[in-house]
Amino acid sequence: MRTRTTSLVALAAASSIALAGCSAGGGESAVPEEEQLVSGLTGTIGSKDFSEQYILAHLTSQLLNAYGADTDVNTQVVGSANVRTALESDEFLGYWEYTGTSWITYNGNTTPVVGAEAQFEATKEADAANGIAWIDPAPLNNTYAFAIRADKAEELGVSSLSDIAGLPVEEQTFCIESEFSTRDDGFPGLVDAYGIDVPNDNVALLDTGVIYTATAEGTDCNFGEVFATDGRIAALDLVVLEDDKSFFPVYQAAFTLKQETLDEHPGIAEVVAMFADKLTDAEMQRLNALADVDGEDPEDIARDWLDEQGLI
Amino acid sequence: MTVSSATTAISTATAARRTDRRLRILRRAATPAIVVSALGALLLWLSTLELDSIEQRTLNWEYIALRTGEHLNLTIVASILVAVLAIPTGILLSRTRSRAARGTVLGLANIGQATPAVGVVILLAILWQTGYTTALVALVVYSFLPVLRNTMIGLEQIDPFVKESALGMGMTRGQVLRRIELPLAVPVILAGLRTSLVFCVGVATIATFINAGGLGDMIVNGLKLQRFPVLVTGAVLVASIALLIDWVASVIEDVLRPKGV
Repeated sequence: MRTRTTSLVALAAASSIALAGCSAGGGESAVPEEEQLVSGLTGTIGSKDFSEQYILAHLTSQLLNAYGADTDVNTQVVGSANVRTALESDEFLGYWEYTGTSWITYNGNTTPVVGAEAQFEATKEADAANGIAWIDPAPLNNTYAFAIRADKAEELGVSSLSDIAGLPVEEQTFCIESEFSTRDDGFPGLVDAYGIDVPNDNVALLDTGVIYTATAEGTDCNFGEVFATDGRIAALDLVVLEDDKSFFPVYQAAFTLKQETLDEHPGIAEVVAMFADKLTDAEMQRLNALADVDGEDPEDIARDWLDEQGLI
Repeated sequence: MTVSSATTAISTATAARRTDRRLRILRRAATPAIVVSALGALLLWLSTLELDSIEQRTLNWEYIALRTGEHLNLTIVASILVAVLAIPTGILLSRTRSRAARGTVLGLANIGQATPAVGVVILLAILWQTGYTTALVALVVYSFLPVLRNTMIGLEQIDPFVKESALGMGMTRGQVLRRIELPLAVPVILAGLRTSLVFCVGVATIATFINAGGLGDMIVNGLKLQRFPVLVTGAVLVASIALLIDWVASVIEDVLRPKGV
């Protein structure tokens, strides 16, 4: 492969016509040389340890490579804080971060900023002081949400979180993670914001993976704590309740990288912008379902999607 | 002359016995002393910290007492169930001559032990139900093997001549089991029970994943939200319970061990 790439590059150079540029790494590119927005860019795109992050990392790496970069993907790091550290220590070139996570976890705030755009601007500004740049975000908001099985939602007539407090107490049952039960932007805050008053027995503490099946079965609870872009929501026929009081912080996804990297390769922002705005909640849910429900490989999901969108 | 030397001998013997007993008491007291000082150090450290709202929700007496109670309940009930189920199974298996039956039961018990505990718990929760009962079943499945195996080993290691002479003296097989074999096997069986008790304390931490509470709540919480004091408190409490339970078991073992074994 390497020999062929080299000879192709030599041929192109010899004929001095920009016929076909070849990326040094995977050979996925097909854009003319003058359009190689990020040529010379090398490094590793990182990710956190769940499917959405794997897909986002592969999307970014593949499209950057198509525009002349030579990047690979590392999906082995576990835990947000460790991924962020890897970026700060230049182990990662960049990765997709969520505005709420950076605002509350890395920048030490306790209350979110209301509104997606305001939250993004505030986070971007706070991180600028840390030397970390935020490229314009995707529309998706992977925030906390409560889901209920579709038929039960209809039976109870609930569509927003405000509707819950009006139900009989025995219907106000919740499945949440242990972590969610203690955070300010979790259950303690939620019950205050929406005036929910239930005994402890109405709240089941479960692992994330178990919450989805428990909510779909409806034996432990009616309302399960989920992540808004999770592919299992649609697959299990669950519906997400509207957060009508905007209680949950916005967890909008955006590509983050060192400011110095962006200064050196401003083309990165252009490449990311080519696909970021297509990633809505629904689209991300669909892609996540391909990984979590159908068991497809995130790398293939990313390649197929870029192909489908006519980007590579 | 002879009288005085005899007195000296007696007093030396008494002194030796006294130091022996003192040593034993010291050894007995070591574990509780370690646990108490560890908990004291933890409390002292926690009192110097300024806790944020997330930490305050878990680091309070009510929460800790509730979780510790749940943890102890799970551990002790599971161990009793294991004792009640695994010891008779072990006795039955050691009576049977069928290799197939022995192999099957030991194999099953082995699977229970070899499967990752988190896997057993979550699988049971998804396939069956969540909550206390599921956690209990998972714990029993997980800690069945040590007791079963030790019961069998304990019975098998008894000198066949002892059994034979008991039979020769006119005892029935049941009497031999009750009066000769089981008392002789007690130390080995109890050692197995002790192992499974300590297993249970550790494994009960994953009950938190399926709404069965326990101190795992604190550990997972502290880990996920990066609240170090919460994580450390949970871990120190679990370790303390494991040490104390092992200690209680060792005392019981001493009491129950037949004299002269």
